[in-house]
Amino acid sequence: MRFKQEKNPAGDEAERALEAEVRASSAGGPRDAQPPDPYWQNLPVRINARIDGATSGKALSIAWAARVAIPGVVAIVSFLIGLHYYVPEPPRTIVSVESVVLSLPPTAIDSLLMDPGRADPSLTLREIGVDVFNVSREQITDYLVASGNTTAAVEELTERETSALLAALGTPPR
Amino acid sequence: MEPRSDSDLVREVRNGNRQAFTELMQKYQRRVYWLARRIVTDHDDADDVVQETFVKAYLALGEFRGDAGFFTWLYRIAVNLSLNTVRKRQVMNYLRESELLGKLLPSPDDPSASVEQKELESVLQRAVATLPEKQKAVFVLRYYDELTYEEIAKVLKTSVGGLKANYFHALRKVQEYMRNEIQTGEEPGRR
Repeated sequence: MRFKQEKNPAGDEAERALEAEVRASSAGGPRDAQPPDPYWQNLPVRINARIDGATSGKALSIAWAARVAIPGVVAIVSFLIGLHYYVPEPPRTIVSVESVVLSLPPTAIDSLLMDPGRADPSLTLREIGVDVFNVSREQITDYLVASGNTTAAVEELTERETSALLAALGTPPR
Repeated sequence: MEPRSDSDLVREVRNGNRQAFTELMQKYQRRVYWLARRIVTDHDDADDVVQETFVKAYLALGEFRGDAGFFTWLYRIAVNLSLNTVRKRQVMNYLRESELLGKLLPSPDDPSASVEQKELESVLQRAVATLPEKQKAVFVLRYYDELTYEEIAKVLKTSVGGLKANYFHALRKVQEYMRNEIQTGEEPGRR
């Protein structure tokens, strides 16, 4: 968290006076509900159970499998399958650009003429100028609805993702 | 028997003594809970934050270098988790407000929502909830926890000068909010 270097707008005296005023104003308000004693007694037990869950061999192996092993195996298998089946073969006959263009349906040619930037598959996102994080509120909402359990989806967000999402939604973190 | 210091307990935890970590939890659970509760306002969210804070602290204890005290380090984790919880609530509130999700998610005004929480929400809590997150963190640590600026600076990794300004601005906003509440004739604790 970064704080702006601001000049202290008031001296210690002014701060103390203001603080005293706020304390006096809030003194009559209802007190916060104290959790009952059993809550405090059970809290370490529940935390220890969570620690056990997080540090057990099973949990570690599942976490490791989910994060590393499974994606790794999938990537390697996909790569091997790709190598086996999809290695581009040299063209058997020389085809002219003109004949390829003529073989395209008219709508495809129109779309290429309207948006030539999309025609070059070698262009990177940066060259095209597309910001993949620049999505509309509607897109975010649609995505979260489509993902089913919205509450769980939001809970899974990291700190950085939450901030990015809030910024995209136009609600800066207060 | 004299209570053991935090650094002794941390050393024992590192040597595999879980009971020492339980001692640390018992020592700080209330302070961490109330810190979280002041920021997130809701008991259930505060409960989640407390648990997450200690689990995270336990798992990351190997990375704790001891530059700052254990308490400062623990507070830093709790503040970050609390602020992140507030951000997630903001996302959920936005989604609730959107027409499409209004039908899919329970509204915060749903009668099934925690009645206790609503009844206990004081004017001051509501005022704190309106603060920007940085001011909120400083306000909670200073006003409720009565930490010194030097301690807060260690928790939030920032300068004392900036903190003083943040706290003063926060106090002014809280005072203004409370005055407005009184002027509109609302009884504290009811809205």
